[in-house]
Amino acid sequence: MSTITVDTTLLRDAALGAVATVDDPEIPGVSIVDLGLLETVTATVDGRVAIGLIPTFSGCPALAMIAADVEAAVAALPEVEEVTVEWLRSPVWTIERVTEDARRTMATDLTLAVRVDSNPTPCPRCGSPTEEKSEFGSSRCRAVHRCGSCLEVIEVMRDR
Amino acid sequence: MGRTWSSMDDFEAFLDDGGMVEVDDDMPDEYRAAVFRFIELHANSELMGGLTERDWIPMTPGLRHKMAVLAKTQDEIGHGHLLYMVAADLGVKTRREMLEDLFAGRSRFQNVFHYPARTWGDQVAICLLVDGAAVPSQKAVYKDCSYGPYKRILKRIIAEEGFHLRLGEERVLKIAEGTDAQRAMFQQSIDDWWWPALRLFGPDSRPNDRLARWRLKSEKNEVMRAGWVQKFVPMLHSYGFTIPDPGLTHDAETDTWTCGPIDWEPLKRTMAMDGPDTARRIAEASAAWETTRWVRDALDAAPAGAVA
Repeated sequence: MSTITVDTTLLRDAALGAVATVDDPEIPGVSIVDLGLLETVTATVDGRVAIGLIPTFSGCPALAMIAADVEAAVAALPEVEEVTVEWLRSPVWTIERVTEDARRTMATDLTLAVRVDSNPTPCPRCGSPTEEKSEFGSSRCRAVHRCGSCLEVIEVMRDR
Repeated sequence: MGRTWSSMDDFEAFLDDGGMVEVDDDMPDEYRAAVFRFIELHANSELMGGLTERDWIPMTPGLRHKMAVLAKTQDEIGHGHLLYMVAADLGVKTRREMLEDLFAGRSRFQNVFHYPARTWGDQVAICLLVDGAAVPSQKAVYKDCSYGPYKRILKRIIAEEGFHLRLGEERVLKIAEGTDAQRAMFQQSIDDWWWPALRLFGPDSRPNDRLARWRLKSEKNEVMRAGWVQKFVPMLHSYGFTIPDPGLTHDAETDTWTCGPIDWEPLKRTMAMDGPDTARRIAEASAAWETTRWVRDALDAAPAGAVA
């Protein structure tokens, strides 16, 4: 155990920066922080960091991989003595937690839309209204839509 | 509305300039047919692969791996769904016609889905060797793909298959640390799956390959195959497993592994729908389609707007 006292604010910021480098395993280029998975970061004077994450869906198969990636990223910081990563049961993840940045990247890089309250969801390619074709896409948090104008087959991230 | 081209030369010049073809374009019939066949084969393979994953949900050891297999099943079926929609948009066959052709043995799916997955070791080998061959193949199609709707869906599929690859590497580590019996089981799986996975790349590319001409492929089969051999031989050796290829050679100077002569007969048999597990696989897929008929009938019978 280190006897050096660390600045907890700086350590917390550094840990936050490290978590932000972790991308969703299925959405390269989009950080889990931008997807709204990070809930708590605490740091202690003896260099212990605790990360609290929330899952999009509790049955998500990527949970262990994301936790391992987060742990590795934070553990790589020189001032960190110990890191714990926990999946929290509350609050429940909602689509509002996805940042504007992430929405833009998903729309332009992956033709992946995020469901909005004002239905119907606009097409990430042309902005026209899309129609839901299937409630389930290739994962639990995605639906399949089709654009009525450019005919693009798209996926829409959703929280329910 | 879409664009038109006066001749194939005109169209190929458009492709040479990096042009992207979209669904409402009046593309040449030969190109339309080639893109359609390509996507239909991909869609069929996703569906057949997803059904094998499904078979393994109850047999997968441990909750964590079971969750992963559940999700992988949903991934593959979801990819198939997206691809069938994009294929159907080309107007060659409807989605129903594609499925009926698949179940009647009239259309193809990739060679690796003509073999039985008998043990958990087989599932690990598939996740490593087959997904490890599928990902570079898909990346090579994606890289310079001239058909826009397919390219955009491929980008998401590749991201998700990359996740499967990581799962595969995790599973291999786990099994490599296992008991002697578990290691022996996995060695048997490598012996059974090495060659089918290697043959997934196909024979050496022909110089006048139209798929390359039309930017549906951007890498030669033999180059991708060589990269695969170079990746997996050292990996499996490092875990203490052997490769079932007596002709395998190693160039110490360049540290390059090269496979021995390849027997293409098994590939020809799977392409003729006569692989070791072809009939059972098709029967299972067909049964899955039949037992869910009532859902489709109910959806078709429901008044518009009654079903979300």
